Amino acid sequence: MENINENSRPSGIELLRTLCGIFGPCGNEERVRDKIADILKDSGIASEKDRIGNLFVKIPGGGEGYDPENPVKIMISAHMDEVGFMVRDIDADGYIRFICVGGIDPCVLCGKRVVFMGAEGEVKGVIASKAIHHKTAEERTTAVKIENMYVDIGAEDYEDASRWLAVGDYGRFDSEFVRFGINDAFIKAPAIDDRLGCAVIIETLKRLASEGKKLPFDLIAGFTVREEIGKSGAGMAARRFLPDYSVVLESTAVADLPDVKPNSRVAAAGGGGVISLLDRSTIYDADLVSAALELGEKKGIPVQIKKYLSGGNDAGSIHKSAYGTACLAISAPSRYIHSAANVICAEDYFSIRELVYAILTEHSFKK
Amino acid sequence: MYSLIKQIVCCPGTSGSEGATAELLSDIMKDRSDEIYRDRLGNLICRKKGRSENARRVLLCAHMDEIGFIATYIENSGLIRIAPIGGINFTASSYSEVIFENGVAGVLVPDSGVAAGSFAADVFGVDIGASSAAEASRRVKIGDRCAMRQTVRRLGGGRICGRPLDDRVGCAILAEIAEKLAGTETEDDIYYVFSVQEEVGLRGAGPAAFGIRPDVALVYDVTGTGDTAGAKPMEVKLGGGAAIKLRDSSVICNPGLADELAKIGKEKGIKTQFEILRAGGTDTAAIQASASGCIAGAISIPCRFIHSGVETVDLADVKACVDLTVAYLTK
Repeated sequence: MENINENSRPSGIELLRTLCGIFGPCGNEERVRDKIADILKDSGIASEKDRIGNLFVKIPGGGEGYDPENPVKIMISAHMDEVGFMVRDIDADGYIRFICVGGIDPCVLCGKRVVFMGAEGEVKGVIASKAIHHKTAEERTTAVKIENMYVDIGAEDYEDASRWLAVGDYGRFDSEFVRFGINDAFIKAPAIDDRLGCAVIIETLKRLASEGKKLPFDLIAGFTVREEIGKSGAGMAARRFLPDYSVVLESTAVADLPDVKPNSRVAAAGGGGVISLLDRSTIYDADLVSAALELGEKKGIPVQIKKYLSGGNDAGSIHKSAYGTACLAISAPSRYIHSAANVICAEDYFSIRELVYAILTEHSFKK
Repeated sequence: MYSLIKQIVCCPGTSGSEGATAELLSDIMKDRSDEIYRDRLGNLICRKKGRSENARRVLLCAHMDEIGFIATYIENSGLIRIAPIGGINFTASSYSEVIFENGVAGVLVPDSGVAAGSFAADVFGVDIGASSAAEASRRVKIGDRCAMRQTVRRLGGGRICGRPLDDRVGCAILAEIAEKLAGTETEDDIYYVFSVQEEVGLRGAGPAAFGIRPDVALVYDVTGTGDTAGAKPMEVKLGGGAAIKLRDSSVICNPGLADELAKIGKEKGIKTQFEILRAGGTDTAAIQASASGCIAGAISIPCRFIHSGVETVDLADVKACVDLTVAYLTK
């Protein structure tokens, strides 16, 4: 594969490790945002924050083909938030009842480690439910409901638990970043959705800055908030900058798994960035879709089409905001999305990074 | 009017792929408007300038897109798996002829042994007569779109039947209004908007309205009727005239505008009926709430068997929609 700077590979994975390790459930993106701003600042890239909490980097265009009077505007975005939990109630025995923030399948919860952010700092716990010998015959054959689960933080009683946590405090999966598989080809971590997109944008901005490259359009890089509960941050970003084109970096559940019929397998891990034709919230711009597929082929960057209609992402609110925006989504093919163990093939990270760079530097965007 | 409808109906254009329909309408509208352009999402916007600089802006909207299917996977057998675009009723679509945009014909069929009650996208495929994946993929690629055959025929009593009457009949009404107003000077700045992506969730019209900032908007789309066997109670009937929408599940129309339209209908002897649609939304909702909002209403075309291959409307109702609008804009 041309264009990949082999030296930059370890640092790319390290960046992903750093971002996946940060606490940032929907509405609590500040730690992620601060870290991204710091990383960018270290490379001399200034960023700014809006009222809802989105972070932006604006890179004015220039050089050949740039029209300063009426510049083409392109937004590339990824969301900073992750699915998580919120304290709903603390019972007399000090157990934490909770709700999910964003879409989480209750089946992936029991027995998982979680970490909440209380007023005094991190509080670790485990999600549990009634033991099997206490369950009725019916309960043994059905999934445990969230309302019947609790988080055990090791508190003695209500008073004890209340010293650490309060109703409304947020939590996330407490899960490590692990390389596994042959040649460490795979990565398991929490929040790959969508810290991977954030990492790709950071690396792209740094690369453009280090090469001193002027693009023939104004580029807005957006790190957005609140995607997992209804995509509100990105729509505001689009209305603020009114981009002509928007590239959304996401994660998509791939389902290249046993028990899934071939025609229901969205895409395959290791197959490169996933280009969506349409999903439940957006019909993507046909020209951008072809351009991405053609660039992938031309440059030998793996890329695949999403083969099943499912999900949605920030493009859903971006494409119909204000005057409307032509959108492209490039998703990381991820297994077990919205669980403690998002799994991706590391090679897909690099494929997406190269594809994004190729689109920005080689595709001709018309006003 | 029938030949205009036929011409517009027989053009493919599933949501997000309205290019051919836009081209046809653009051609039809070029002598009937002062300015024509397409916006970023593909909405076709045709403007007829008003008498003065500060004329009231009136937006008339009908959607170009039709429901259909997109190829997502090709089985070893050559069967093409599909995903729905828009609100597909698989019972109404099963065992139908479908046509891809490149002209390849096929039939949409359920997997054998699947009961009608379990019909869903996952158990449907398009058989294009290929006997292997290789053969099929020479003719159809992943991402290619198809729809049930676009066709229209006359039934008795001035009624017509086919698909997609939803909403090409609305497009034809806009074109006819434009034809009638083309020679005359109007007070208002009129924007004929042929919108995209209505069937997937009213996605195109809002951005079009954001760019136009209308004072008043009227939407022309089909609505259900209560006059078929077993139909749920509903006032609207085929042949009952232009249906002035009061509300549907997406919007509450401006009551003053609805009353004004009804009054004009009465004065001019144009048949109208009030419409309350309990299940279904229209671009009216997206336009009403776009930017800082506008006075929005809809003049609906009563239609039986919506989203099937045999959508049925009465040409007298279509004419009433045209006449009512022309009367409103020239009063």
